Amino acid sequence: MTNSTEASTPVATDDAAGRTDEAQARWRAAYEREIGAQRTARAIRNRSGIVIEPLYGPSERSGQWYAERLGYPGQPPYTRGIYATMHRGRTWTQRQLVGLGTPADYNARLRELVAGGASAVSLIPCNSVFRGYDMDEVPQELLGTCGVVVNTPEHLAACLDGVDLRRTSIGLNDPLPFTLLAFLIVLAERRAVSIGELGGTSNQSDYLSHCVANHMFFRLSLAGSRRVLLDEIAWCIDHLPRWNYLSVVGQHMQQAGATPAQAMAFTLASAAQYARDCTARGMDPDQVLARFTFFFDVSVSFFEEIAKFRAGRRIWARLARELGARDPRALRFKFHAQTSGADLTRQQPLNNIARVTVQAMAGIFGGLQSLHTDAYDEALSTPTAAGARIAVATQNILREEARLTDVIDPLGGSWYVETLTDRMEEEIARAMARIEEAGGMHRAVEDGLVQRMIGESARRFQEAIDSGEQVVVGINAYQAEEEPGERVAAARPDPAIMRMHVERFRRWKAQRSPGDVARALDALARSARDASANTFESVVAAARAGCTHGEICACLRRELGFGQPLTVV
Amino acid sequence: MKGGEPAAVAAILARERIALARAITTVENEAAGASELLAALRPHLGRAHVVGITGAPGAGKSTLIGSLLGAWLARGSKVAVVAVDPSSPLTGGAVLGDRIRMGEHAGHDDCFIRSLSARGHLGGLSRTSAAVVDVLDAAGFDPVVVETVGTGQSEVAVARLADTRIVLCPPGLGDEVQALKAGVLEIADLLVVSKGDLPDAERTQAELRDMLALRARAPGWQPRVLRLSALAGEGVAPLVAAIDEHRAAAGVGRRLSPSGDPSGDGASLCERLARRDRYVAALGVEFVRARAGSAEVALAIGDEHLNFMGNCHGGVLFALADTAFGLASNGYGSVAAGIDAHITYHAAVRKGDRLLARAHEVTRNRKLAVYRVDVERAPGESIACFTGTVFLTDRRHRP
Amino acid sequence: MSIRPKVLITKIGFDGHDRGARVVAAGLRDAGMEVIYTPPWQQIGEVVKLAIEEDVDVIGLSSLATDHLLVPRLVDALRAAGAGDVPVIVGGVVPDEEVRALLEAGVARVFHPGTALAEIVAFIDSETGRVRAARFAATMREGDDDEQH
Repeated sequence: MTNSTEASTPVATDDAAGRTDEAQARWRAAYEREIGAQRTARAIRNRSGIVIEPLYGPSERSGQWYAERLGYPGQPPYTRGIYATMHRGRTWTQRQLVGLGTPADYNARLRELVAGGASAVSLIPCNSVFRGYDMDEVPQELLGTCGVVVNTPEHLAACLDGVDLRRTSIGLNDPLPFTLLAFLIVLAERRAVSIGELGGTSNQSDYLSHCVANHMFFRLSLAGSRRVLLDEIAWCIDHLPRWNYLSVVGQHMQQAGATPAQAMAFTLASAAQYARDCTARGMDPDQVLARFTFFFDVSVSFFEEIAKFRAGRRIWARLARELGARDPRALRFKFHAQTSGADLTRQQPLNNIARVTVQAMAGIFGGLQSLHTDAYDEALSTPTAAGARIAVATQNILREEARLTDVIDPLGGSWYVETLTDRMEEEIARAMARIEEAGGMHRAVEDGLVQRMIGESARRFQEAIDSGEQVVVGINAYQAEEEPGERVAAARPDPAIMRMHVERFRRWKAQRSPGDVARALDALARSARDASANTFESVVAAARAGCTHGEICACLRRELGFGQPLTVV
Repeated sequence: MKGGEPAAVAAILARERIALARAITTVENEAAGASELLAALRPHLGRAHVVGITGAPGAGKSTLIGSLLGAWLARGSKVAVVAVDPSSPLTGGAVLGDRIRMGEHAGHDDCFIRSLSARGHLGGLSRTSAAVVDVLDAAGFDPVVVETVGTGQSEVAVARLADTRIVLCPPGLGDEVQALKAGVLEIADLLVVSKGDLPDAERTQAELRDMLALRARAPGWQPRVLRLSALAGEGVAPLVAAIDEHRAAAGVGRRLSPSGDPSGDGASLCERLARRDRYVAALGVEFVRARAGSAEVALAIGDEHLNFMGNCHGGVLFALADTAFGLASNGYGSVAAGIDAHITYHAAVRKGDRLLARAHEVTRNRKLAVYRVDVERAPGESIACFTGTVFLTDRRHRP
Repeated sequence: MSIRPKVLITKIGFDGHDRGARVVAAGLRDAGMEVIYTPPWQQIGEVVKLAIEEDVDVIGLSSLATDHLLVPRLVDALRAAGAGDVPVIVGGVVPDEEVRALLEAGVARVFHPGTALAEIVAFIDSETGRVRAARFAATMREGDDDEQH
């Protein structure tokens, strides 16, 4: 947390300096008199700990300052945006994450969303899939309650029925060892689509963020994860030129309690770790970094989030150069943002629509490339179809009714936003320096440093809510009697249909060639033991040979170690 | 709880998990029936090999125990673990997190793990850890592993409790070796360098060997230095073998037989000392029970104890507390000389009241030990609180 | 001396989000309780064994996805193991009609996000007192029976 007081109290730049100085002093005196001593003494801080002044004004900012710190959109340091046209040229990708029930259920929901304006596809598998298991080895009551149950290429084919694989950007929530990507490759081969045409992103490839803050996705040991991710990146560079193989995720850490500044710092430090690992394996930084993408939480702390994204872009442009990149494509900070579920409340749930709107606006003004808006009922249960529709409509309203896309970086030049961007940059840099001192992100995660820093922030934030210092409407202020009828019903898959899905899977497994499956798993195990082999290539081969998701994950867990999170209270 | 009854004892001896766990709670909390239960279990003690594991926080104690569990369970042993975690000095609360680091074997049917909060007690164990070990010993677990808090060099309490003392040292100790030398290192039967895959491990092992070589050699067991990589699973078999060798050389049940007291835990020595005390007899103090480190004595207040106000004389209360203090501190077999004592009186005592004074050890090192004595009229009704310090001499009590 | 509640905070099922569980565990410790905190994905059998061996007063389960759907299985397993008197509480995102189902299955209480820590502390305190008093009364009854025979 910073203790620095705000440096940018209004400073005059014009010829009438004396008059302005005097006017400023008069304002300051009147402000302090009228606000009262008690409120002057108590500093207002944002979630990242930065002191917020009551007023920002012009400071000594020259043309050179503009060129160095802001620049024009599409030009380094990209503070104002990574493309010359930004949202005027192409608005953000509307990417709603969905996944529920069986592949047929998912396909029906997907078609509905596409009809409603979603411009890209994403897939959330069931939590049993996230944990690396097949549907026949887990309690059935949990299947399909949080995502779609996908264990084979056949299941993925049913999910993506009617989707043109050549034209659609596909976001797979697919932690390493990337079985869903392997299934997609097998599916493309079967549909006679060249795999070079597959476009999309391996979301949830950032194992460091999983080890720290989303243990459900953490499947293999840290060392094993490091190896498998590098194998996937190397394989994709050779075979999938349109695939974004790595999405570095700040979202989990901010959801787990990291401040916005910490979340940005840890994400950039992770990206630096991955970039160094890749170059150490002989990959070209320009080529590798050009397809790094980022994924952030956007909270309701409006200005702080805008400043977070602007500062992040600026730091990445600098950091990528330090990592050896020169190509502008590698310096551009492309990110997806998801509105923060941690800000949503169960109490007075319709208020969440307002929160999501403010969060989405912060992301849009922050210059995002892709956006997921949460459904208002997420704090109650798995989102309903009605909730998901409102979430999509929110984006449409902001884009087309409110016309937030008309001007590029519309808050650029705001004294407050520019100053806060600088302060956030300092705060982020400070946290990054701490990670560097600890030996880089991999080491800092292994030692639990990052986990401890996040735990401390989470606790501090909870204390602020408990003490009422941080207001949460409906929780610690403006509580209201619940109106009947506000509650929504949970959507649960039909147990009979899910039972059939499991039964069909069992039958499918039984009719496979046991020899092919055993040979493919054996080859996968051998590739894991051989440091010079590419494990992802073996995962694709295993998928082709009929190995299931659970079989592939279990094999690599045996060879490379189970991902056991470090537990810190 | 009527813990000393045959049914409860039989359930413990049969290793019925719920009965055993609740009996441990009784002795851990010193709840009603705890003393009776421990007395009833006494004939069943002395079979378990108690293995103490100490070392700084983060040295890898729980991970090591996880590896040992794997080896012991595989050869059919029934293993119990007592893991002590620190408590918050401000609130007394604690997060007990050791067992979750012991890995997959915690779920094994032949394994019983119990986590204890130190509850403010210093020395690496909780005050009642030894009693908990007794319950597990009686239940037939062998070995019983005791994992200390791990706050550093003051953890010598485990030296008396455990038959085999393992001190875990992470690599790269540097200056800390000097501190170790003065403290826990002295109690170690086996020194284990953990995280043996780290680059400094070999050097640390050599440094520890040098240090042992400088020490005067006592007859009998010679401490050894081993290297272990629990992550890679290397070094576990040699450690298990060394533990077996030490057991064969040193035997089991050390906690039950402090030197000079063949009765086991100092109880019979305390009883003899109490009988020998003529002042105690004159005052009418009754001996209830005592062993090394704790004692209970009682007194019924009569006319002869009253002062000019008609209340019990303060000196009587002091004498009662001092008696418990003296018995608890001398129960180890060597002469403990009182050098300082304080008392605070909380309530007046009248004729006909029956008082109970209970002494327990707060801390103990090689030279000094501190005791606290609570004087109560009814359970929970505090009459006086006494603290005393003894100087520990080398002289033995005559048999 | 009043005895501190001993509480197990754990997670069963698939989800791994532990922010809520960690904040509650730290809060209970700061309220003077003894807390056993586990990583996520515990098997039901492991939770039962741990709860019995540690003789915990209350079991607290955190559920942010849909893992609460497994809790009735845990309650049944506790009963089958003879530890059905240990209260089970659930904290997290649970839809209303499933709250009712959990209570009917024997869960003592469901806490929703936004619950003040003090409320959880008070509930655990009272459950601990209730269960210990009931157990004490039961042992006294057993004792009386023994004396009569």
